Amino acid sequence: MPNPFETLGLAPTFAIDATDLEQRQRELNRAVHPDRHAGNSPAQRRQALSRAMDVNQAYRTLRDPATRAEALFELLGFDPLASSMATDPALLGDMMEQRELLDEVRRHKDVERLRSLKFSMGERQRQIVLALGRAFEPLLRPGTSPGEESRQADLERTRRLFTELKYVRRFSEEVAAIEDEI
Amino acid sequence: MLLDIFDPKAAPKPIGIDLGTTHSVVAYVRDGRPLAIVTCDGGPLLPSVVHYGGHGEVLVGRSAQAYQERAPERTISSVKRFMGRGSEDAQTRTLGTYKLSPPRSPEEAKMVHFDLGDRRKTPVEISAEILKSLKQSATEQLRAVGGAVITVPAYFDDAQRQATRDAARLAGLEVLRLLNEPTAAALAYGMEQRTSGTFAIYDLGGGTFDITLLRLEDGVFQVKSTGGDSALGGDDMDRAIAEKLLMAMGFEVPSDAPRSVIGLVLSTARDAKHRLTLDSIVTLELPRKGGGGVAVMLTRAEFDALIAPLLERTGRAARRALRDAALEPGDLDGVILVGGATRVPRVRSYVAELFGQEPMCDIDPDLVVAYGAALQADQLGRDAGDTLLLDVLPLSLGVETLGGAVDRILPRNTTIPVAAKATFTTYADNQTGFELHIVQGERELAGDCRSLARFTLKGIPPLPAGQARLEVSFNVDENALLKVHARELSTGIEQEVEVKPSYGLTDDQVEQMLMDALDHGEEDFEQRRLAEAKVEGSRVLAATQKGLLVDADLLEQPERDEITRAITLLQHSLEPGTGPGTASRIQALTQALDDATHAWAGRRMDRAFKSALQGQDVARLAQTVQHARGVDAHLEEHKKSSI
Repeated sequence: MPNPFETLGLAPTFAIDATDLEQRQRELNRAVHPDRHAGNSPAQRRQALSRAMDVNQAYRTLRDPATRAEALFELLGFDPLASSMATDPALLGDMMEQRELLDEVRRHKDVERLRSLKFSMGERQRQIVLALGRAFEPLLRPGTSPGEESRQADLERTRRLFTELKYVRRFSEEVAAIEDEI
Repeated sequence: MLLDIFDPKAAPKPIGIDLGTTHSVVAYVRDGRPLAIVTCDGGPLLPSVVHYGGHGEVLVGRSAQAYQERAPERTISSVKRFMGRGSEDAQTRTLGTYKLSPPRSPEEAKMVHFDLGDRRKTPVEISAEILKSLKQSATEQLRAVGGAVITVPAYFDDAQRQATRDAARLAGLEVLRLLNEPTAAALAYGMEQRTSGTFAIYDLGGGTFDITLLRLEDGVFQVKSTGGDSALGGDDMDRAIAEKLLMAMGFEVPSDAPRSVIGLVLSTARDAKHRLTLDSIVTLELPRKGGGGVAVMLTRAEFDALIAPLLERTGRAARRALRDAALEPGDLDGVILVGGATRVPRVRSYVAELFGQEPMCDIDPDLVVAYGAALQADQLGRDAGDTLLLDVLPLSLGVETLGGAVDRILPRNTTIPVAAKATFTTYADNQTGFELHIVQGERELAGDCRSLARFTLKGIPPLPAGQARLEVSFNVDENALLKVHARELSTGIEQEVEVKPSYGLTDDQVEQMLMDALDHGEEDFEQRRLAEAKVEGSRVLAATQKGLLVDADLLEQPERDEITRAITLLQHSLEPGTGPGTASRIQALTQALDDATHAWAGRRMDRAFKSALQGQDVARLAQTVQHARGVDAHLEEHKKSSI
């Protein structure tokens, strides 16, 4: 599969404008969606279908900050999961604490506190996303080579933020599941 | 217009079909406006009821309905509930008049069979009878019927969609597209009002509930999220009333009542529901168990209380859809009501409370879906439509992993068509086969999701555990139908599976059923094949010639010669006065022309792609220039929409 940034005609970057991304997806679908080629020959319909699949897959990857980060790591040739560094114990402890809170909320069906937990996690996610944008920037800046040591430090910083993002999102999914339940 | 009707060369008209739980509608577009076709019942609504008579005759619609009480077991209503469902499904065991036939083999258990005494029929075959009747009505009015857009509930899973497509094929219809019902309704509203904005479509039909949130902009209908329940609708309201009535009649366990009594009570209940739209109280005369009669009073307040749990279920699905789309009720520019059950006053007030605004219902909720389907069929028939529907996958697709958990490959609400890949490894040393179990649904365990297909990739060389790597690709087309492709990366062993779920029919089976359905069997069949081959051949020919006018510069000389040769051969084969066996020849020559244009089609698509991106960059540039006049405002805006 081609790299999602290239598919949508974007330079690889983490800070993406949501409206622009959506517009690109819309315009490209206008050109290649199978419905636009319904009267064409099977060869063209096949081509159209496969390109529309690429466009929508690229859109899905870039719209979501976690998969967008993964796509950038792949471009950088770095596997965030293969890193030998363990997850930050402070983060682990923090998440465990939050989870206990969530369990309590679930037991007491406390809608008010669930809402405030949801809000604070949403806020935290926004902060992580902004930080990730800043962390990716030097790694993706063209032309400069900051030296291996500094690059490793930058990668490690983004990796930590990425891990935290994944924890926070997993937590938000659980909040959503409890919302459905209550 | 009359001339048009009698023109023997009139181009076949594409049609749109709403294949509903309680009734079905067929529509077409004339002068840009959708019109419903009068069915054999004299109105646009054909009751989705099929009766199988004792002498092989099949009745559809109101004439079939007349047998509901006299021959309940031979008269099937609400068959849509059974589409793509196996005999083990809980939904197939609700209160009804039909009799199910026990499966004769494990393979059969995957598809419900109705016991009609002398015959057994599947939901696919029964639905095909309804579609045939609609096609017949359309043919009478339009002379020649082209392809059909058929609507399905947005929340239908892969198996239910496959079953619908099979039913259409069985009815001899060319399926242009399976379209989601709420999206169809939005299309009908959007074309009418030419607005832009964010809308919720609340679609409560006879047997299914869908909630869809979509954004309409520049003629593109982009679905943001969809949710629902493929077994919840007006039928359930009838059943809730019927259970209450049966108890009042002395049947303590409602399902113990004889089938003919259940048939009578269900139709009384439906009638009471309709009357309660205007009246606040109704009195129903019913027979008492063991003789005599009983008068039961039902108030609207009691009815509202009976359906409260059903409405709460729709509310839950709606809240989840809002969350998935990251929308609040206040973000909506309008709420559209679809489906006959939204006529119930309590449903309307509930929707108004749920979204904090009065819903729209300017277009008849029973016809709006068929109108949208007709508009889409019309668009697909023409080259230059400006609207585009971007729909989503309704339910997540995944693979069962070791331990029975689900590895989600494509989450729900992903824009389709879409493709995704995942890699798995072997878990045992020297493992030479890899079993894949593909499931659809939101639950954590594979056993709680719908099983779509199981297959085994064989012939993997013996390697230590974790060494062999299996790449699985999921391809979901614009109809939300799935194809799975598996490849072992170290050896390149490949396998492609069309996920034809277990209950789907093979092409051979469909062909056999089609032959059985035709009066003169093979003869008719050959004729049909020839007609279809000619249509497809002419289409490919026309598309290729048109392409040559625009993109001939993308051709190298040898390639161009080959295409010219293929065109000439196909043209000759399409000339009239040819002998038997021509269908196959036309098909082969069509295929040859298609193959010859394959590489060129790719380059043409690249060109279209680049020009779309350039257009985007130009628009972006214009936007930036505009924003540059107020840089601060631009920065503010940028911050807001950053994700």
